[in-house]
Amino acid sequence: MNIENLIKDTFAAREHDAPDSDAVLAAARQRIDSRRSGLSRPFAVAAGATVLTLGAVTAVVLNRPGPAEQPQIAAPANASQSSQTPTSAAPAAAGLQMPYSLGWLPPGAVAYQVHRINVGSSAAKPDVPLYGGEYMLTVTANGQVLEVDVQQMRMVSADRATFKSGPGQSVTINGQPGVESSVSTGPGGYELYVAHPDGGSMYVNVNAAPGSTAPAQQLIEAGRRIAENISFPGTTTVTPAYGLRDLPNGMRICAFDVTQGMNRPLSGPGTSTSYRLGTCTVQPSINVNSAVGGNPTGTPGQPVQGHETRSVDENGYRQLWVLDAVDGAPIVIAGRVPETDLYDIANRLVLPH
Amino acid sequence: MADYDDFARAQLPRLLRYATMLTGEREQAADLVQDVLVKVYRHWSRISGADHPDRYVLRMVTNGYLSWRHSWSARVIPSGDVPDEARADDFASDHAAREDMWQRLARLPKRQRAVVVLRYYEQLPDPEIAGLLGCAQATVRAHAHKALAALRNGLAIEQMAEARETR
Repeated sequence: MNIENLIKDTFAAREHDAPDSDAVLAAARQRIDSRRSGLSRPFAVAAGATVLTLGAVTAVVLNRPGPAEQPQIAAPANASQSSQTPTSAAPAAAGLQMPYSLGWLPPGAVAYQVHRINVGSSAAKPDVPLYGGEYMLTVTANGQVLEVDVQQMRMVSADRATFKSGPGQSVTINGQPGVESSVSTGPGGYELYVAHPDGGSMYVNVNAAPGSTAPAQQLIEAGRRIAENISFPGTTTVTPAYGLRDLPNGMRICAFDVTQGMNRPLSGPGTSTSYRLGTCTVQPSINVNSAVGGNPTGTPGQPVQGHETRSVDENGYRQLWVLDAVDGAPIVIAGRVPETDLYDIANRLVLPH
Repeated sequence: MADYDDFARAQLPRLLRYATMLTGEREQAADLVQDVLVKVYRHWSRISGADHPDRYVLRMVTNGYLSWRHSWSARVIPSGDVPDEARADDFASDHAAREDMWQRLARLPKRQRAVVVLRYYEQLPDPEIAGLLGCAQATVRAHAHKALAALRNGLAIEQMAEARETR
């Protein structure tokens, strides 16, 4: 037996050490769910106009103009904002505010997915949510497709950054210390962590999408420029596929997810939107989602706003499907709550006409 | 996200075995793959559109292993001493040789170990390994050469083989 065969035998003999697939998948699901719904404190009312400057070639408007259309939810509140309550008369599909804005993006057509959620808080800073929001964008120009990911990482300082694209080196962005890494031909493209004045860091990742190519210098310049133009507090709003109005007692929109133009694996409209509703001090109790796959199930329910519905009860976890709600796609309202609560939310949906 | 679920279920066994070979520890393999699954979920719209999503995710696991926390390398050092050699007259000599090799693998630098796992476990050709690691083929060969030299250093396997043949 030569050493190469011994190595192969050694690996083969250790295959039984691999963890159980079901357990790992279940744990991953739990993390996905908790990341989407683990909330620690209220969001506050948004204010201010919206400006997201996109590239010069094509600008996909992520914002809604005009103070009259201000959204009912927005950033995790600071002390002065936290006493605010959601407005009670949000207009149809009012814009949803992001905690920070991107002042510059590479030129091109933009598809995006944005999140705004809380994932609990740390013992050291119980009033600060861990997760500030994320932009995931795909910028297409002249056959080149760039993927841009910008995240606020409150719990990761720049000096603790780790990279998928190799060892980092120091950089200064707008006077703030940062660490960047770039591997032109490898995964990860350009990555940058830059310190945030209030703690934690901002993460910027620019890479060529699978099947596309980009010079390393282009990625570096784009990533740095994106980082240089991030602005706090956020004034960017995104337009959801549908809205909510007049939420009942104490209920708020704790988190949202809006996707526009991305290559989603689901059929349906180009924009999908989900909300997490609750008091935001505990786990949200109701999920509202237009990004659902499959056919509606359950038994016919009461019509809502002129739309047929289906009702499903899985051991107390109830779903109310509002059919043909957004460009032919359904909206599903679900939670471990009484069915009347689901209908209550359904009647507060602001659907596109 | 039915597509994601199907994909995850189909790929998980392979990914977990691969991560186990990379990390050398069941728990860390589970953590590593969990991290990747969460990222895959978040970026599924992109990943599902890739030409080879399975290869894309394999690369994510590899990168996750290479870039994971600083404390990692400290955690994977085996607690026991490396055996001086596996005795040829030991009825469990094959097992002992594999245990010896497993511990030697754990002592390799991460990038060298990744090359060894990709080459001898995943049985990928060097060009594909280079693509996964984002480096030149010559770099892959250099890592493999260094790794094999380190693994071979003081190894009693040749002695064992000779002894077995003369039994």
